[in-house]
Amino acid sequence: MYMLNAWVSLDYVLLTALGTLLGIYVGAIPGLSVTMAVSILISFTFSWDINNALCLMIGIYMGGVYGGSRTAILLNIPGAPAAIVTALDGYPLAKKGLAGQAIGLSTIMSVIGGFVGIAVLAVAAPAVSDFALLFQPRDYLLLGIMGITLVGALSGRSLIKGIFAGALGIGIGTVGLDPLTAEERFTFGYVELWSGISPVVVMIGLFGLTEALVQLHNLDKAMIKQKVDKIVPKLGDIKKYLPLSIQSSFIGVVIGALPGTGGEIASLMAYDHARRVTKKPEVPFGEGAKEGLIAAESSNNAAVGGAFIPMLTLGIPGDAVTAVFIGALFIHGVNPGPLLIETRPDMFWFIVGTLLLANVFLLIFGLTGIKVFSKIIQCPKGILIPIIFLLSIVGAYSIHNSVSDIWWMLAFGVMGYFMRRHGYPLSPIILGVILSHLMDENWRRAILVERNDLGAFWANLFSSPLSLTLLFIIVFVALSSTPFWRILKQKISRK
Amino acid sequence: MKIKNLLLGSLTSIALVTSGQSLADYPNKDIQGIIMWGAGGSTDSVMRSVTPYAEEKLGVDVIMTNRSGGVGAIATKYVYSQKSDGYTLLMGAENPQMHKVLGLSSIDYSDMIPINILARGTPIIVANNDAPYNTFEEFVAYVKAHPGEVRTGMTGNGGLTSIVLAMLESQVKLDLTPVPYNGDGPALTALQSGTIDVMSSVIGAALDHIQAGRMKVISVIDAKENNLLPGIAPITDTYPKLSSYLPWGPFFGIFVKKGTPKEAIDKLVAAFHAAAENESFKQLMAKRGFEIMNESGASAEAFLERYRSVSSWIVYDSGFSKKSPADFNIPRP
Repeated sequence: MYMLNAWVSLDYVLLTALGTLLGIYVGAIPGLSVTMAVSILISFTFSWDINNALCLMIGIYMGGVYGGSRTAILLNIPGAPAAIVTALDGYPLAKKGLAGQAIGLSTIMSVIGGFVGIAVLAVAAPAVSDFALLFQPRDYLLLGIMGITLVGALSGRSLIKGIFAGALGIGIGTVGLDPLTAEERFTFGYVELWSGISPVVVMIGLFGLTEALVQLHNLDKAMIKQKVDKIVPKLGDIKKYLPLSIQSSFIGVVIGALPGTGGEIASLMAYDHARRVTKKPEVPFGEGAKEGLIAAESSNNAAVGGAFIPMLTLGIPGDAVTAVFIGALFIHGVNPGPLLIETRPDMFWFIVGTLLLANVFLLIFGLTGIKVFSKIIQCPKGILIPIIFLLSIVGAYSIHNSVSDIWWMLAFGVMGYFMRRHGYPLSPIILGVILSHLMDENWRRAILVERNDLGAFWANLFSSPLSLTLLFIIVFVALSSTPFWRILKQKISRK
Repeated sequence: MKIKNLLLGSLTSIALVTSGQSLADYPNKDIQGIIMWGAGGSTDSVMRSVTPYAEEKLGVDVIMTNRSGGVGAIATKYVYSQKSDGYTLLMGAENPQMHKVLGLSSIDYSDMIPINILARGTPIIVANNDAPYNTFEEFVAYVKAHPGEVRTGMTGNGGLTSIVLAMLESQVKLDLTPVPYNGDGPALTALQSGTIDVMSSVIGAALDHIQAGRMKVISVIDAKENNLLPGIAPITDTYPKLSSYLPWGPFFGIFVKKGTPKEAIDKLVAAFHAAAENESFKQLMAKRGFEIMNESGASAEAFLERYRSVSSWIVYDSGFSKKSPADFNIPRP
């Protein structure tokens, strides 16, 4: 088995371990993105043996996706867009002094998600990529609509304010060159705005800077004492949540495997799924429900395995990081593409093996460093807040090496501060920014494909089993949250 | 905008005055390489695989940064705003050559000095496996019989797909339904999933998919057959008149700003020339279907000028350029 190659050499094992550890920290720091780290490594590892380079990069990828959850839980600052959903229930847990438990749980669930993703990659990669190719523009549109219904869940107390925030996010997402016609939209003649406002900039501003500004009000308040004794979740708990974790993982793999959607959309979908299947959460969602944390963490790590599927079977990147991997493999003389599994099975299985190894190290590193990490939250605010400021600025700059991104980040941070003071939820804004491109592009592409014929659009939608299923889910979700549904349910149960 | 340009102009002239010092020992510090497309893209891969060999010759590091955005205009403007001292390289693709006529920017490669035109890609036309045509003639006949029914992937005005289509339109009227994508990667995916039926791409991007039998190639946009795609007739077999435009294709090159001292240029040219001669780089490019050019000096400038003139006039004649190439003294091919 070629897969074993990844485990027999001490070099490989050590590099994978180092990568995973680095990844956790890179991922934990908002703005230091995995994409960035992997791109830097391309130059750095140019003269290396390709297997060594891959070990380090895969380690960073795996660790980085997980690491994003750390700061999300501890500081309400997601380290990466895929961890936004983690913050929703993770941070409330930390506020109750349960940060250690939350991190422990998220580690276990990330590892489970990771294993499911890798298993699907190993067993069914060609089948999944063929399935991913079935997705037509209209199906991506339906996925986007499914995601946007989450605004309801993310709104908190006021739905109107939530919808406003979501719409604002969609508006922000439309800035830049029109993805279809390259016409300038809301750019006011600035070339800097052509590629739009990066969702990561919005995220760092709205979460990082806003959080730091809000915390300024509590400068003199006592820190929450964190309980760090029971970090590893009880076996019974893991068993109880396993079904949800597995379901979320499968959502993660599929969404991760679709070109153009990654961990951030996967975790949103899984969160929504968890809200629907969890009949009676111990605490409501958004206030520290473990189910929310589990769904987010399982799915975004499962999406890693998913993202490798189209890359290794078709040469199509599943997300931004795998796009960089394609470049790296190319530089090292390997062509990731439809012929890879046949011509270089060693390479395919080496990647699978390394992913598996990285996932094991994730478990080890994830569970050992928690005590120190949890202390971060107890660090005096006078020290913590300036650090957050600094990281936010560095993070914003490093996305495109652009100073204008820093200004955007600062502006969003200040805006977020005032919105939070006035009770507006911030996560729908991010949701809008992330989803607006997906929906904008695919709605218009879907209708262009039908030559602007709305009739043909619906006809094809209803004749495609995949589209019909997605539509059915949307209608079901929408209906199930209306009062009408409750009345119907009562009537049925009375009979 | 005007004041900004004026300011930029005066700044650069100051830079010119102050930069003339201590160049005898060029390079004496790290060089910045600005890549105009994102990490993992083809421009990025090409630059990152050739530069390490040039570093060996130069004796200093070339620190590469991706500055994507504005179809390459942001990186081009950035390099143009730096001192012309040979310490900032623009690592780019063909895009800036269209910026003037498309109204995207007032800077193109004629404001730069080519250090090396590394390689060029050959455009091809690929189709979905289930499409009922296998040659370009059959394709034209099918489109004529089914106007508007064939969907083609587009990657934006001024992009490869738009220029190839305009070239074909100069010979034959094709009623196709364009479906836009942001890049040939997503468009080639859509071709395999049947969302679109046909599109133009470069050999490098599509070769693996063709060899794996996931799509078929119906024409090579060149004046001769390509040895990577034996048996596929070049487009000039059908439309001999197109040979005046060909060979044409996207390219990758390294540039410095005009005004860079000759000594620095000579050293850079020598370093990158040697780098592009490197056997493993050559193999890499051949495998991806790129044709090595490794040209600098007058021949590189002639190639750039020809690309600009062909592409600019094609898009102008087909009516989607904002400005006339004549406004920029770009001669007709």
